[in-house]
Parts: sequence; structure tokens; C-alpha cells
Amino acid sequence: MSQIFRPGANSIAVAVLVLLLILPPVAIALTYVFWASPYATNQYLTIEQTVPFSHAHHVGDIGLDCRMCHTGVEKAAFAGLPSTHICMTCHSRIWTNAAMLAPVRASYASNKPLHWQRVNRLPDYVFFDHSIHVAKGVGCSTCHGPVDKMAIMRQQKPLTMGWCLQCHRHPENYVRPRDKVFDMSWTPPQDQKRKGMELIRRYLIHTNHLTDCSTCHR
Amino acid sequence: MPSLTPMLDRRMALQLVASTPLLASCSPPREEIIPYVDMPEGLVAGEPARFATTLPLGGYGRGFLGVTVDGRPVKVEGNRLHPFSLGATDVFAEAEVLSLYDPDRSKTVLRKGEIATWQDFAGAWGGILRDARVGLVTGRILSPTKSAQIEALRLHYPRLSWFRYEPVHDDAARAGSRLAFGKVLNALPRWGEIDCIVCLGADPLGAGPQQIHVGRAFSSRRAGPARQALHVAESAWSLTGAAADFRIAMAPDQVAEVGRAIANHFGAQLGVPELDARGRAFAQRAARALDAAHGRVLVLAGNAMPPALHAVCHWLDRMLAAPVSYMDSLDTVEDDHAAMLAALADALHDRRLDALIILDANPVYDAPDAFHMAQAIDNAPFSVHVGLHRDETAQAVQWHLPLSHVLESWGDARAPDGTASLIQPLIRPLYDTRTGDEILALIAGGPQRDSYDLTRAQWRPGAAGDFERWWRQALNQGVISGSTAPVLSPPSPKAPFLPRPAARRGLSLLLEPHPSLWDGRFSNNAWLQECPAPFTKEVWGNAVQVAPQDADRLGIRNGDCVEMTVERRTTSAAVSVMPGQAPGTLCAMLGGGRSRGRIGAGVGIRYIELAGRALARRIDQVLLAKAGAGPPLRSTQNHTRLDGRAEDLFPIAADNPVVARATEEPPSMLAKPPRGDYAWAMVVDTDACIGCNACVIACQAENNVPVVGPEEVSQGRDMHWLRVDTYTIQQGDIGRRGFQPVPCMHCELAPCEPVCPVEASVHDHEGLNVQVYNRCIGTRFCEANCPYKVRRFNWFAYAGSQAYGGEAPALKAQHNPDVSVRGRGVMEKCNYCLQRISRARRTAEKQNRTIAEGEVVTACQAACPTHAIHFGDLNHADSNVTRLRQDRRHYTLLEELNTRPRTTYLKRLYPGEDETDER
Repeated sequence: MSQIFRPGANSIAVAVLVLLLILPPVAIALTYVFWASPYATNQYLTIEQTVPFSHAHHVGDIGLDCRMCHTGVEKAAFAGLPSTHICMTCHSRIWTNAAMLAPVRASYASNKPLHWQRVNRLPDYVFFDHSIHVAKGVGCSTCHGPVDKMAIMRQQKPLTMGWCLQCHRHPENYVRPRDKVFDMSWTPPQDQKRKGMELIRRYLIHTNHLTDCSTCHR
Repeated sequence: MPSLTPMLDRRMALQLVASTPLLASCSPPREEIIPYVDMPEGLVAGEPARFATTLPLGGYGRGFLGVTVDGRPVKVEGNRLHPFSLGATDVFAEAEVLSLYDPDRSKTVLRKGEIATWQDFAGAWGGILRDARVGLVTGRILSPTKSAQIEALRLHYPRLSWFRYEPVHDDAARAGSRLAFGKVLNALPRWGEIDCIVCLGADPLGAGPQQIHVGRAFSSRRAGPARQALHVAESAWSLTGAAADFRIAMAPDQVAEVGRAIANHFGAQLGVPELDARGRAFAQRAARALDAAHGRVLVLAGNAMPPALHAVCHWLDRMLAAPVSYMDSLDTVEDDHAAMLAALADALHDRRLDALIILDANPVYDAPDAFHMAQAIDNAPFSVHVGLHRDETAQAVQWHLPLSHVLESWGDARAPDGTASLIQPLIRPLYDTRTGDEILALIAGGPQRDSYDLTRAQWRPGAAGDFERWWRQALNQGVISGSTAPVLSPPSPKAPFLPRPAARRGLSLLLEPHPSLWDGRFSNNAWLQECPAPFTKEVWGNAVQVAPQDADRLGIRNGDCVEMTVERRTTSAAVSVMPGQAPGTLCAMLGGGRSRGRIGAGVGIRYIELAGRALARRIDQVLLAKAGAGPPLRSTQNHTRLDGRAEDLFPIAADNPVVARATEEPPSMLAKPPRGDYAWAMVVDTDACIGCNACVIACQAENNVPVVGPEEVSQGRDMHWLRVDTYTIQQGDIGRRGFQPVPCMHCELAPCEPVCPVEASVHDHEGLNVQVYNRCIGTRFCEANCPYKVRRFNWFAYAGSQAYGGEAPALKAQHNPDVSVRGRGVMEKCNYCLQRISRARRTAEKQNRTIAEGEVVTACQAACPTHAIHFGDLNHADSNVTRLRQDRRHYTLLEELNTRPRTTYLKRLYPGEDETDER
């Protein structure tokens, strides 16, 4: 009776067994890596807008405050995008004929709103409130990155739940004094941990509730 | 009605499977942000704004606050300043936001069913000459602007006839008032001052424009030191009967005899009452109670009672110096409702009208068939229907004009005490519709004016001082101060007289307004169709309620189909056997059997068919026979039934019970719940609950709770996060009825938590048992392990895949943006209005303080007209809930399971029975 298996079959069988053990965890790990990758989270993605608004120019060069345009940021969940009227406060006087501002003027003249593409998009089932974060000393740049250096707006952070939890578990690493919230140049000091702890006490941040599901999901 | 079963053949299914990889490779769609061009001052994007407005029911205005988010009306809440809202709501008010977005709403002018324009109509109406015999049909009009417009219309068309009728009318009370005082007076009890109420078939706590007003006074007296005594003689269960301390069920004629006996006690010579021993005992006790509380009593007759009994009640109220304010009737029309409907039918059949305008009424549906209303309307050379829907009447007329919803309109209305308030729109009309005021202005031939100008023009002359300031204040408060009708000096009623009832054979059918569909005008509202009726828990239908004695005699069981015959008119209906209903009496709700509307068509029975040529509230000599197959009985009562446990689940107490309390908590193997800054808890007072269902619909509106539809309910499924259970406790011969609202118990040791394999059911630090929708994989273990059966499973994507659940895009606009819309395969349940807690917490923390007592108000609590639901923080030693948990009436549902619920109850109280008790 002839041999059914060739000599190499043993090696193949062993390799298959080993791969069966290794592949599923690797596949799962790869999936996690993939979904956390900028490809899936849109991190660093720059989105083309109708009007090529430059934060680098308006915030970095001119030094406008965030609240000049994002009027709801201290009052509401939604920070708000400026109405065309706010744009025209300045641009009815300066750069009145700039070609790139034509859609803004058209919007103002025709009373039709501008359509902006959303850059920072949170997943479904999560409810985020700008005003409470601002009130408790979470700075704009902590989540939005160096906006004052972005010519066109991009999503700087992954906006995954794991990323949110880094701060919700250890807010002392991120909170800053309230008067520095809108400061784009703020960097954590050497003793951030100690100062952060002090701010948590001073701002009455209830840390035990921060990681409850019900804080963000409802 | 569409089925939920997917319409897929094998080929289609394979095609769909093949397309999935393609779909999966797509990234989520790009989202746009569209800011204002010029943002209104004071507006904050995404934050709710509240506007005072008025919602009419049967013509009576009730003031509420409309909540809008980014210009979309999403919720109706109470207005504390309005005497007929007092900060609370009812089912009709809560459901108006859904009616606003109803995809079935009429969107365009129609001429003989073809699309036309407003100009076309104006041109056609221009052909109506000033001496034409114009007939105007409306419901009850208590709007000062509309009343003035109709007067102006009379000047324009001198031969105008105005036919005013409401299907849910008060003709008996009107006739009774005429018998007693010689004219129709508006008798308004001052409910808070009353110590003893005797209701003879009356249901002041039942659905209607006065429910909130009466309910609040009732419950504040119950909560106070001097409890109001409530004696009710009635034929079928009413909410007042369920709340009564002493109730007797007897045939309608017998109820009138109780009135005779009581009147005789106070010196009327009405002859010997024909009562049995039970009736005599009841009348005697009621009369003694009235005697003892002279000056603080009220005797009230119901709408199915004869006018003479109403007159007797007026006489008794004056004899006993009852705290009743008499006012001139707000309804300026002299004739009664039924008479006007008959006059309308006659005028049409005799071709005495050249043009007919039906303004927001539906006579083809709600007039009895004997009037042949559709053919009658056909006799009019020119007929117009103005309405929210292309309903039955819209099919019978030549012109149909689309009406703006009340939440899109300017206007005004008067409350039952005359208090006027403005109707303020929350949104611009969604479609090319006009308000009733605008259409009246259009047919009066004046210049084109919108209802804003019309309303302002009406109020400008009477406003004191600066009109703009007056107007702003009236809008802001939602009440026009000083507009309450003047109180007359108490008139002296004529000596009473009560004719003997005629001998009758057969059964008496009482027609009651539907507790959530009213007269059928709300039948296209899926929330209201699926709102369980208080006693039968019936949804999607209106079965006839039969007393058990009659059912046994005829061999009928619950859910059987019967045929009801009056003279030669016949209809068949499902039967709900109702213990505690008087033998010889049938009870049915109006509002079923509509033939138009994708939600309401074909649901329930149109009992008015049996009424002959009258808009009767009571039909005598009904013959009942068992029939074969017929409409089904769909009820949610038995979905979660625990047999033989009523006394444990709904304990009642005689008076101030003394209960031995366990001081030590029994051991448990479950993990101790985490402790946090707050410990939220709810206490529900079953003694105050009147079973009005306002909380159920408020919860539905607030939490985006989907409707499942009749087929699904028949399968034993429903989605209400809050249900109101009804209990019958047998005490000797007396069946006590009570209501128990059941939301999630938020057990500290929650049985649902350890069985969840994915930790979707977890506790947070504030004591909430929260459901994490995005973790849930739908094993339903938690539902199986929940002893209170408060968890609800999305078997299908109810919220967007079917007619009832909002497949229409317009309905999506109603969703509360603060709450997730749950998908298929996900478990959900009450979360104590987490979004409201979160909002209060964020507001407080932004101000560096803790949440104050009373700052978090759940949707059910806000809606409750009787303050039966209390919510607060147990960590707070002097909070309302902490205090109520020490109350001697306090109890826990299924305490022996050691689940330590955060939702607990206060017992229903019944005063001690005296020796005349019928036991």
C-alpha cells in the first residue's frame, strides 16, 4: 500500500495547528488596530469646505477668541457655528471683494445659509456637551489640537471611546485653569498631576461619576 | 394595515445579501452643519426653548408650554400660570406634537378630490352672493376672535345659519340648567373648598378639559389633613368611581333614584324612590355626609342622566350652600348640540342652504347614520370642508381646505372658567395650510389677513395701557390676566321635579368619550390609539363593556364577539367583561370605526350608528346576542399578570396603617451597588393616582418610545416604559379599583444585572439601573429575570419601519434630540429621564453647586395632574422622597424578593366603613 501523505505533510499539519492558534487572536488584534487607526477614525483628515476658512489666519495670526464665532460653547452642548451675519461683521468692511468669500456674500444676500462639512463627528449613542467641559477646565486644544496652526480644519484626535476615557479616568492629567481654556498655547506644566488634582477639587469635578455609562450614553 | 413580516422572495433576499459587502465598504455619510444666516437674538442652537400656547379640547382652551429645539416642536409641558393646566398635562395635550407631524395631514386645497389652489377657492367663493343662505358648521367656539369673526360674517351674510355641535356634548347639563334657572348657566364648583362630593353618574375626574383642574384640587385635598369624601353612584366604571371612597354600581335609572332619595332627605317632595336596600343605604349615607358638611358639599349629575336630575342637583347645591360659582354660559349659542345637528340635517335635506362651510368638524363620521349626512351634504350646491385631514366629511364635499395645526396657528381660546389665553405658534405651517381664523376672514370677503393680525386686532381695543407690552406679557405668561368670566350672584333654582323613568326592556348602552381618542378626532394619532384604556387596558379598539352577570346570562366570555341591535340598527363588537359594572348596563367609548387615516381607519367600532336620530349619550333597549367572528379585543392587561397576588401588589389601607418595618436589610449574594453624590428615587402615591394616563404619553413623547401597532400588541408586545396597572381588590361584595403606575424599579440589587452576558445592564453611581444600548446584544435574559416586567425589547425596528412607528420622514422631527432612538434587537426601559438628570447636573455643576431638591422633574412627574409621582434624592435627608419613604403608607413592590427598589409606593387609603356599609 502506497503512502497517503507525502513527507512534507507533517510540517503542514503542524503549521496549520499553530496558525489556528495564532490567527484568531491576531485577527482580533488587527481588527482593533484597524478600527483605532486614522483610516477608520478619520483622524488627521482634512475636509474641503465651501469657504476655505483658515483658523490659522483668524486665530493664529489675528488672535480672535474661539467664542467670537462659536457662541454656544459656554452655554450649550453644541458649540455652534457662526451665522453668516457674524462673518459679515468683519467682511462687510475688509476683504469685501475677495473671491474666496463669494459664497459668504451670496449667503448673506440671498438669505440662504452656508453649508459646512462636519469635521469632528462623534459616534451615535453618545451625547457630548461643550459647555460643561469648558466650565470644568478642559481646554479647546485638548480635543481639537493646535487649531491656530490649521489652515483648513482637521480632526486632530481619534474621538474613540478609549480616547475619551483617558481623560474621564484621569482628568488630573488634562484639566487646566479656567482662564486658560481658550488659550491655544497652553501646555501642561511640569507638575500637571498635582495642579490637576487641585483643580479637580476646586472645580468640584465628581470623578466617581465620570466613568458611569450614563454620563455620556442615554 | 401593513404587516411587519418582510415582503421578500428568495431572489430579492439573495440580491440583498450580494449587495451587503458593497454597503459595508461605504464609510458613514458626511454630515453637514448649517448655521443661521442671521441667528435670532437669545436663541442657543440645540437648546430647548419654551413658548406658552393654548390647546383646545372640545373648544375649551387649556394653556400649556410648547418645547421646541432648533425650531422643531418636540414636547408639550404644563403651564403653571394657567388654571386649567397648573403645570400638568393630559393625554391629548401630550400627543399634539405627534398630530402636528402626522404624515396623513391634509396638505393642499382639493376641488372634488383634485388638487387646486387657494386662489381657485377664493375665486369660486366669490360667486356666493350676499343674500345666499350660508350654513356654517363648527364645534364649540370659545375663541373671542372666532366669535367676533362669526358675528362679522353674519353682517356679511344676513341669512347665515350657524350650526354648532360637539359629539361629546353637554346637552343634559344645559337642559338641566334651563329647568332650574330658566337659562343656561355655567356652574363651576370651587373644588378645593369641597369636603364631600356626591356624583350621580358624573365623572369630573374623567378625560376632558377640566380633568387637570379637578384632579389637582382632588389630590391636594387628599394629601392635606382634611380628606374629601367622594360618594359615587354610577353604572359603569369611571375614573371618579375608581377614586371614590364609597361607590355603588346601579342601572342609570337607579342612579337618578338615588338623587330622588337625597333630594327628599333635604325636603324635596319627589315621591318614594324606587331603590333596593343597597341603594337606600348608599343614598342614606351620602345624605348624612352632605348634611354634616353643609356649605362644603357638591352634588353632581352626569351627562347620561336626565335633565331633571341636573336640575335636582342644582337645587340641592343651593340648599346646601355648595361652593359653586355661577357664570353666564361661555358658549353663546342658544340651541343644544343634538338639536343643531338635527337642524343641519333637515336644512340640507330640504335644500335650504346655498352654501355649506364645515369648519373643523366631521359630521359624516360623528352624526348617526339616520341623518344620512353624506347625501345631505350632496344637496348643498356649494360645500366646503376645512380640516386637518381628508376625513369622511372631506370626501363628501366639493371643496376641501387644509387647516393649520394648532401648534402652527395664532389664535385664542377660553378655559371653562372663561380665562382667555393666546394660541401661539411653535412653528410656521409645515404645508400650505391656513388657520380657521384666516379662512373665516377669507369667506367674510375682507382683505387677506393672517391670524396674527386677526388675533391682535381682536385684543387691541381691550388692552389696558401700552398694547405691545400687554401683548408680550400675555404671550409670555400664556394667560390673559383679568379675563375670567364674572361670577353672578347665586341664582335661586326652581323647586325640583323628577319624572319617574319609563319601564324599559333590554340593556342600556352608555356612550362615553374615549379616554384617549375623545370623539374620534384623535384617532389618527398612534400614541393615543396605543394608550391603554384605564380599566380594560384595551388598545387599538373600543370593545363594549359588559357586566359579568349579563355576560354569564348570555354565555359571553371576555374577547367574544357580540351583535348589538337597537330597533333595526345593528353593530358587532368585541366584549370586555367588566366586574363592578351594573347589570343591565353596557358601556362603550366613542371614537372608533373611522374609515379614513392610515392609523385610525378600521380600528374599533362606530357605536353612534346605534343612536337613531339623536346625538345620544345613552341608548336604551339594546339587544345583545353572541355572534361569530368579529373584531378582536386587544388588551395589554394580561401581558404581565400575576394571578392571585392583587392584595400583595396593590395593598390598601383603612386609615393611617401602622406597619412594622424591618430595620435590618436582609443579606444578599449580589454585589453592593456603588454609592455616589446622589441617590435618585421615586415614590408613587396610589391614593392620588386617578389613572388618567398622562404620564404614559408624556413618557412616550419624552423618551422617543415607539408604537408597536395592533398586530404586535396581539402578540403580547408593547414598548411603554411606564405602564399603569389596574387592580381590583375584593372587599366582601365591594370591588375596589385602583391604579398603579409602574416604571422601572431601579432595584439596588437588580436581578437584571447579573444575567447580562455583556454588561449592558449596569448600575451607575447615582443608583440608576442603566441600559447601555450599544452594548446590548438582545439575549433578553434581563427581561426574563426582571420580576416587575418593566423591560421592553425592540423585536423590530419599531421606531421607523412602519406606519405607526414613524416611517414617514416628518415624524422623525418629533424625536427628542436628547434621547437615543433605539434600534432593532435592543432592550430598553425607563431610566428616570436620565437626560433630565444629566441636564440638571450639568447646569448645577457649571454653577459649582449640587442639584437642588425639585430641580430634576421626570416627564411622568411633570405631566401628572394629581402630583402622584414624586422624584428626588435619597441622600438628601429632607427631600420629598426621603420624607415619603418614612410615611406609614409606604410599601415596596414584591419586597420579599429583596431587590430593594428605588421606586416605591404609597398605599391607597379607604376610610373605615360604617354600619350602613353594604357588605
